Amino acid sequence: MNVRFERLALTTLVIPEGRLDFGAAAAFQRHIEEVLAGAATASAAVIIDCSALDYVSSAGLRVFLLAARAAQRAGTSFALCALKPAVREVFELSGFSRIICVHTDRATALASAPREPA
Amino acid sequence: MTEQRLAVPSDAAQLPALTRFLQEFWSAARLPPAQALPFELALEEVFMNVVLHGSPAGTAPRVEVSLSMRDLKLTMTVEDDGPEFDPLAAPPPDVTASLTARPVGGQGVFLVRQMMDAVSYQRVGARNQLRMTKEITRSSGNPSRG
Repeated sequence: MNVRFERLALTTLVIPEGRLDFGAAAAFQRHIEEVLAGAATASAAVIIDCSALDYVSSAGLRVFLLAARAAQRAGTSFALCALKPAVREVFELSGFSRIICVHTDRATALASAPREPA
Repeated sequence: MTEQRLAVPSDAAQLPALTRFLQEFWSAARLPPAQALPFELALEEVFMNVVLHGSPAGTAPRVEVSLSMRDLKLTMTVEDDGPEFDPLAAPPPDVTASLTARPVGGQGVFLVRQMMDAVSYQRVGARNQLRMTKEITRSSGNPSRG
């Protein structure tokens, strides 16, 4: 799995591409931890843009859950956006779409992200 | 009836080979790609359960996966010769729990049970056998659901 990053003002966009399965989960978790560590100092937002994510298993859900908790503790805004059907189905069936903020697309996610330093 | 089998040691490094095995079966049988998710997910979850929880230290039980298609009913069986373990015996996670209260583990088998039409466990001789079936719909359109 490849991961790209984009910075837009105070928001960091993390863009995972491909399959987030058991084999990819540990490296992806390290990427997200680094981004969250960097974001914490800026009271900023982290958005995971899932528009290129084809598959997620429980190993991937675990990374999202831990990231959402870490963000909550640090006061960082954390959301996912643009879930493909296969990823959305796993999110809905697991109930994760109720505990992690999910936006339909990147524009909506960016519009909800904080713009000024807290 | 079409049937394919693959046996691998219970080692996480074998996951890509298993996924490839499923994808090759899927395209050879000309099944709708949008309906592969329940089987891809179940294969990973059940296999990784054996790797992480069903393989005593220093051992690698043999895991055998079979896929068989009869009419439009697809059956996937995962067997391993590790210690007796029924993954279906675990209680389902509380899907209404809050972000902080939600347990980190236990999601995999729960998802598999929701996505498949039927899931059953049997201890057959010295092997654990988990059998999952789901009807495939030939019409294109929405990704499979429940």
